[in-house]
Amino acid sequence: MKNTFKRTLTLVLASAMLVTLLAGCGGGLANNVNDGTINPNTDQTEFDIMGGMSALSKGYDNHEVLDALQASAGIKINWETMSDSLAEQVNIRITGGQYPDAFMGVGFSNYDLARYGDDGTFLDLSPYFTPEIMPNLCAILEEHPEIRAAITQEDGKIYGLPSGEQMTTAGIGAPMDEAFSIFSVPQYSMINKAWLDDLGLEIPASLDELHDALKAFKDNDMSAKYYGNAPGSTLPMTTGFDEWCWGQNIFYSGFGFTNWPNDVCNDLVLRSDGQVQFICTTDAYRDCLSYFHDWYAEGLMDVEMFSQSDSQLIAKCQQGYVGVSTWWYIEELMGDYASDYVFLPPLTGPKGTQYEGVCDVTIRPGSAISSGQLCITNKCQSPINLLKFYDQWYDGETVMQLQYGPIGVFFTGQDEKGMWLSITDDEARAQYNKSAGELRNVYETYGPKLILAEYYNEVFYMEDRAIERLTDLDQSWMPYVKDTTFYPVDCVFTGMEMETIDWHKSDFETAVREQEGLWLRDGGPTDAEWESYKDYLTNKCGMNDLLEVYQDAYERYAAAQ
Amino acid sequence: MSDRTSDIVMVVICSIVLLIVAYPLYYVVVASFSDPYEVYAGKTFLFPSGFTLDGYKSVFLNDGIVSGFLNSVKYTVIGTIFSVVMLYITAYPMAQKDLPGRKALSIFFLITMYFGGGLVPTYLVVKQTGLVGSMWSLFLPGGVGVGNMIIVRNYFQNSIPHDLIEASEIDGCSKLRTFFSVVIPLSMPIMAVMVVFSMVAYWNDWFTALIYLGGKGSPLPLVMRNILIKSSATASQAATISGGYAELNKLTELLKFCSMIVAALPMLIVYPFVQKYFEKGFMAGAVKG
Repeated sequence: MKNTFKRTLTLVLASAMLVTLLAGCGGGLANNVNDGTINPNTDQTEFDIMGGMSALSKGYDNHEVLDALQASAGIKINWETMSDSLAEQVNIRITGGQYPDAFMGVGFSNYDLARYGDDGTFLDLSPYFTPEIMPNLCAILEEHPEIRAAITQEDGKIYGLPSGEQMTTAGIGAPMDEAFSIFSVPQYSMINKAWLDDLGLEIPASLDELHDALKAFKDNDMSAKYYGNAPGSTLPMTTGFDEWCWGQNIFYSGFGFTNWPNDVCNDLVLRSDGQVQFICTTDAYRDCLSYFHDWYAEGLMDVEMFSQSDSQLIAKCQQGYVGVSTWWYIEELMGDYASDYVFLPPLTGPKGTQYEGVCDVTIRPGSAISSGQLCITNKCQSPINLLKFYDQWYDGETVMQLQYGPIGVFFTGQDEKGMWLSITDDEARAQYNKSAGELRNVYETYGPKLILAEYYNEVFYMEDRAIERLTDLDQSWMPYVKDTTFYPVDCVFTGMEMETIDWHKSDFETAVREQEGLWLRDGGPTDAEWESYKDYLTNKCGMNDLLEVYQDAYERYAAAQ
Repeated sequence: MSDRTSDIVMVVICSIVLLIVAYPLYYVVVASFSDPYEVYAGKTFLFPSGFTLDGYKSVFLNDGIVSGFLNSVKYTVIGTIFSVVMLYITAYPMAQKDLPGRKALSIFFLITMYFGGGLVPTYLVVKQTGLVGSMWSLFLPGGVGVGNMIIVRNYFQNSIPHDLIEASEIDGCSKLRTFFSVVIPLSMPIMAVMVVFSMVAYWNDWFTALIYLGGKGSPLPLVMRNILIKSSATASQAATISGGYAELNKLTELLKFCSMIVAALPMLIVYPFVQKYFEKGFMAGAVKG
C-alpha cells in the first residue's frame, strides 16, 4: 500500500514536471526567422503594442501626437500601457507566449535583447533600415555611425530602434566634437560661505584647508551660533555614500580620481593610453580611504552618511545644519539658506604627501544609446507598416513633442530663428495648474526617442535648469578635468562577455562598495587587509575576467571608430 | 511585597511597554501631518511640526481611492468567507480518525506548504483556467491555507470532546447535523482567529491583484501604491534634469506616512471587535496540538 502510494506520487510529480517543461517551450516558438531578409507583407494595419508610460500619463489612446502619426502611417495601434511593475508583466507575457506585436518603452537590457533575439522572439530589424522604409532614421544613422554601432549586436543584428538623449554642452555653445554630457560630473560640492566669512576663513583650495574649515565649523557649532539652531546640531559635512549626485566621491579629487557611480561598471576607468583599470585597486584609492577615515573619526563626516536617504540629506540641509555637501543645484538642497552657499571647487591633495597639488576629476560617460525601447516581436505580420510609423519619430520636431508635449501645449511658439519655445513654469501653473515638469510628465511618451545634441541648436531650446547645470559644468567643473577620457558607455559586448558581466559585476561592485565603507568607518587597510581584499576581488569576484571583457569590448569599439 | 506595591510595579512596567509599542504608531500619525523634512531632521516628537494636510489632500483627491476602498472591502469579505469555508470543509474531515487515506491526504496538503510552482507557472495556470481579470483569481489559487488548516484540524481533534460528538449521534444527529449544530458552535474561537487571519491577509494583499487583475478593480493597497509611485516617479524625473526635486520629493515622503494611516485605519477599527475571541482561540488550537 505504502509502496503503491510512493510510486503514484512519483508518477504524478514526474508528469507534472513534464507538463511544466512543455509549457515552458511553447513561449519561444518562432514564425519568422531572423535570416536577414525583409518580410514583404504589408497586410496588417492594426497592431497591439504593450509598454511603459509616465506615471502621470493618461495613456496613449486619444493622444494628439501619436494619433496624428498613426493617421499618416495609415495604421491603428491598440495600446496597453502601464506605469509600474512593467518588467514583471512583460516577463510573464513573454514566457507565457502571450505577447503583442511590439514592446515600446520597456527598456530591455542588452542581455535581454540578445536572449529574446536569439530565440526568435524579437525580429532583427537591420534589413528594414532602408531609405524606402525608414528614411529619417537612415539619414541619422548615415550621419552618426556611432549610433548604429551602439545598437548593433556582435553578430550584426539589430533587435530594437535606437533611443537616447544627448544633452551636452553643445547645447550651450560648445563645439559639437568637444561637447560633454550633462552627466560628466554628477556631484557639485558646496560650502557655507557665510560661516567661512564669520570665522574669517577663505574658501578652501586643498583638502587640508577644508579639513581645518570643517573643524572650525564643528568647534564653533556654527549651526547653533549662526542660525540659532539647537546646540550641537552642526554637521560639518554630510553626503551620501557613493550616491549619484549626493555622494562623497567629488572630494577624492585630491587623490587624482573620482569614482562616480557608473552605468558601465563602478570604479572602472579608461586611462588615456587605452588601458582599462579598476581604480579601487590602486594605491591612490587606498591612501584616499585612509585619509578620509581620519575625517570620519574626528566627526567631520556625518556618521549617517552610509545610511541616510536623499530625503534625509535634504531635510538636514534645509534646517541649516550643514557646512559642506554635494548636489548639482544649491537652491534645491539648501532651500531657504541657499544664498549663504557657494560651490566648493575640487580640492588638491594633502600637503607633505605625493598628492600635494594633485587635483583631478574623472569624468563619466553620458547616457547610453539604447535599443531596448522599441522591439518588434515575431507576432507582427507586417513589420514594414509598423516601422514606417516609427520612422516619423526620428524627426526633430516630432520627437520634441513626444519628449515634452504637443505644440500648443508645451511649446508655445517659435522665435525668429525658428526654434521652439517651451512653456514657462509660471504659465504652466496659470494655465494647467501644474509645474512645467509635471506637465511634461503628463504628455511625455516613452519609446524610441532619439534626441540628438544638434536639436538643441536647431529645433528647440533646452530646459532652463539644464542650461544652468551645463553652464556650471562647463565653467566650474570641467576646468579641473585634466584627462577627458572615459569608458564609452556604448560599447557592445558579445553574448559570452555579457554572461561574464552578468555573472560577476554585481558581486564585484557590492564587495568594493562594502569594503570602501568599512575602511572609511574603521580605518584604512593594513597591508594584509589590502592584499586579501585584492585576492578576494580577483578570486571571488572575477576582477580579471571583467577587466578582460571591458578591455576587449573597448578595443573593438575603438577599432570601429 | 504587598498587593499594592506589586500593582504599582506592574502598572509602571505595563505603561513603559505600552509606550514603547504605541509611540511608533503615534509617531506615524504625527508624521503624516508634518513637513517630512522636519520629521527627518528630528524635529517632530509629540506634535506635528510644520503642520500640513497636503498628503491627505492628494490621497483623497485621487479618483481611485473610493473605488479602491470598496474593492478592498469586497475582496476581504468574499475572500474571508471563502477561505474560512474552505478551511472548515477540509479541516473537519481531516480531523476524523477513520477517514480513508487520511495520511496520504495529509502529505498531499503538506507538499503544497513546501513546494510552489513559482510566479510564472502559477500565472500560466491561472491564465489557462480563464481566471485572469476575475476577482476569483485572488481567492482560488491559494484557497486552502494549509498552515491554518492544520491549526483548525488540531482544534477539532483536541478541543471538541469526541464523546460529545458520539452523544449527538446517539441522539440521532446525522453527520451534517453534528457538524452544523455541534462542531461549528463549539469552534467559534478558532473561527474568529481564522477570520482575522484571512481578513488581514486579504486586506493587505496587493501583489496578487497586481499580477492577475490587470489594472482593473484594484484594491486599496494597490491604489495607494500607485499614488506613491506616481509621486516618486515625478520627483525622480525632476532629479535628473528638470529640477524641483526637493519640493516634489517632500510630497512623496509625506504620502508614505499618509498611505500607511489610510490603509491601516479600517483594520485598526475592525480589529478590537474580533480580538476578544482571538487570544482564546489561538492558544486553544496550538498548545494542546
